[in-house]
Amino acid sequence: MGRLRNLEPMQILGLLGALFFLTAPYALPLVVPGFWVNITAEIMIWALFAASVNLLFGYTGLLSFGQALYFGMGAYGVALSIEFFHFSFWPAALTGIAVATLSAFVTGIFAARLTWHYFAIITVVFSLIFFFFAVGWKDVTGGDDGMPFTMPPVLKVGGLELSLLDLTFQYYFILAVVGACFGMMHLLLKSPLGYAFIAVRENTARAGLVGYNAYMVRLLSFVFSGFFAGVSGVLFALFSRYASAHFLFWTVSGEGVVWAVVGGAGTLFGPVLGTAFLIVIREELSAYWEHYLLVVGVIVILFVTYAPQGIMGLLRKAIARYARPAAGDGRGARP
Amino acid sequence: MSDLVIILAMNGLVWGLIIALIALGLSIIFGLLDIINVAHGDFFMVGTVFAWTVILITGNFWLAFLIVPLIGMLLGSLVERAVIRPVENSAALSIVATFGLSLILQEAVRATFGATPKRILDPIGVTVPILGLDYQVYRLFAAAIAIAAIVAFFLFLHRTKFGTWMRATRQDRDTAIAMGVPSNRIFVVTFGLGTALAMLGGVVAAPITTVEFRLGLDVLPLCFMAVIIGGLGNLPGTATAAVLLAFVEGIITSFAEPTTARIFSLIFMSGVLLLRPQGIFARSTR
Repeated sequence: MGRLRNLEPMQILGLLGALFFLTAPYALPLVVPGFWVNITAEIMIWALFAASVNLLFGYTGLLSFGQALYFGMGAYGVALSIEFFHFSFWPAALTGIAVATLSAFVTGIFAARLTWHYFAIITVVFSLIFFFFAVGWKDVTGGDDGMPFTMPPVLKVGGLELSLLDLTFQYYFILAVVGACFGMMHLLLKSPLGYAFIAVRENTARAGLVGYNAYMVRLLSFVFSGFFAGVSGVLFALFSRYASAHFLFWTVSGEGVVWAVVGGAGTLFGPVLGTAFLIVIREELSAYWEHYLLVVGVIVILFVTYAPQGIMGLLRKAIARYARPAAGDGRGARP
Repeated sequence: MSDLVIILAMNGLVWGLIIALIALGLSIIFGLLDIINVAHGDFFMVGTVFAWTVILITGNFWLAFLIVPLIGMLLGSLVERAVIRPVENSAALSIVATFGLSLILQEAVRATFGATPKRILDPIGVTVPILGLDYQVYRLFAAAIAIAAIVAFFLFLHRTKFGTWMRATRQDRDTAIAMGVPSNRIFVVTFGLGTALAMLGGVVAAPITTVEFRLGLDVLPLCFMAVIIGGLGNLPGTATAAVLLAFVEGIITSFAEPTTARIFSLIFMSGVLLLRPQGIFARSTR
């Protein structure tokens, strides 16, 4: 216990978070009804999407309002390769991820040249181009109505067939993929490249002077972010069993930004908290009041006004207040 | 076929003038407060809804031209104080705040006005022959109103003290404040004025479009295109770009899908952003 008391507030938070994320999700299907298992699965998918926004915005300082493009590319990659090319599960999923990552690379070559407002706008523009493309090319993409597809089994060995149509298996599958992605993201952010992201965010000129190629760093961040958004798109298409042009619309990107900021941009688990918070509000409120979005709008504005560091920032403050007197040796007493 | 081209080109021109009006509002907010207002399209939508409400209450559409911009001015000023002021120093937070605002506006309209699209009858109801085709007089009137409002706005900006303050603040905020320009008041008025322009655009457009809560979603990207292609902070450029864009989209629509026209202008806009971020009309300074 003595060692615990000497931990920094953020380390305590991290430990609690790790403990929670390592245990609770696995136990969940055993204790709650199927409805909430599905909601949790959806939260995990969108949390990964919000995390992809956060990788760019929170760590590299680039606000993308076009992440929906890579989400939609992943979703359509899966849907089209199953429906038109009759791919089985894994090739289809990998196609989706590859298509999303590749399109992030191609658009990133251009977008990474810009920063600030211009970056936000060009990312929206790119996503809108493909949105209108998907709306217009209705025969293939299904346009606004979307295109459903038949779910191939994940694994088929002899008599054993695992499919996402089994909702409990689907939940664990999504948990495993999203968990792996967050693990990757953690490793990425702790790698020299991850520190390069932060260096470029903090001071681009200085990052350039110490030898980073800011453009390449931004591009790499963009591609990784597109990869994670693509994985979330693949998962969401598999989860909802269809892909729609609406996945590419800028409001989807906007939601990702909102989840990341409300949760706490620049922290690994902030987007998870923000997504969980807002989706639970959606599910709880929409049952009672059709116009729950009014409440969401107010919450978003209150957060950016009074808690711009998001839920993570609030937690950090709360824990610091609790932990500081206990630490007593001045470790927590930074200004 | 050629008849269709003329009609669509004329419609594009009228629509372009309305977009120019709305985009001017977006541009001054962008130029002065340095924030991307994602809710701007929704203010336009609220304008159309108020036009509909004015008809419902008074039975007179023309009153909306007076009342709605005033409401816009008031609403914009309130929003600036309550929502924008706390986040005006952070580009990212302001985008998120206006995204929240956009949710509130859309949902408030859906809750009160309803989700089904409604139409406003042509308030003039007369057509004139133009080049052998019958054309709605109201559309010509809408174009005239839009031009008048744009001219009035430029006169305000260049002929009044407040307009000069606004231009000074846009050029160099710190120096303007040091010279005694009341910057807080400028920000309130700018946001109010920008909102009023968007809502006036809503009134003008109400009889030639459907009135519904999602209307802003399509208009917002168009306005941003005009602002970017015309050049950030270049107001005449923004107005010109809006008219050109809608005109060209109108012509393309006569032989291709509307989505093709939109893709064309978006690709053009990406080119402008990457190659000439100062806009296509700017002289090659900086």
